[in-house]
Amino acid sequence: MSASKLQALWNHPAGPKTIHFWAPTFKWGISIANIADFSKPPEKLSYPQQIAVTATGIIWSRYSTVITPKNWNLFSVNVAMAGTGLYQLGRKIRHDYLSDAEPAVAKE
Amino acid sequence: MASFRAFLNSPVGPKTTHFWGPVANWGFVVAGLVDMQKPPEMISGNMTAAMCIYSALFMRFAWMVQPRNYLLLACHASNESVQLYQLSRWGRAQGYLSEKKDEASSQ
Repeated sequence: MSASKLQALWNHPAGPKTIHFWAPTFKWGISIANIADFSKPPEKLSYPQQIAVTATGIIWSRYSTVITPKNWNLFSVNVAMAGTGLYQLGRKIRHDYLSDAEPAVAKE
Repeated sequence: MASFRAFLNSPVGPKTTHFWGPVANWGFVVAGLVDMQKPPEMISGNMTAAMCIYSALFMRFAWMVQPRNYLLLACHASNESVQLYQLSRWGRAQGYLSEKKDEASSQ
């Protein structure tokens, strides 16, 4: 990779010196936090929070393809968010409604 | 009515994606407010800390993006407050914010 190409990326208006790069990049932290929480017992998951994560992921996935220019970084991070949210929702619903365990809302 | 019509037709109005994306993000604020009523053992430290950093970054993003998006800014300012509060509840329940060391509960 030539030095000028790297320089062009570095100085890009949506590049690593700008918030347009770091805000969408950090959004991956939400999906990473959710993946870390895959090992949490389903009683401790929050329906409102996982629904918010899933809904945001789906809506922003759609909108990142219709803005100008299309932002594939934003698209991919929101697809990941929707995916982790759906997985967590599935775990909690399966625990609360499809198994014999008692759905625990309060602390044990 | 004229200002309402101006809003409807504005570059960040409800006919544009710049409106509905931020509306979706208010879901995090609502979820946080609902979760404030629940016991702190249910709070995810990972997710809440990630939200605090995420909303701080997106407040800056909303300010710098063209066109400037005040709805997104308000949404993330609110979320920052809610998530910081939840983080403090989580930290207190974990024993990070208490004086007595033997009261620290393990996760």
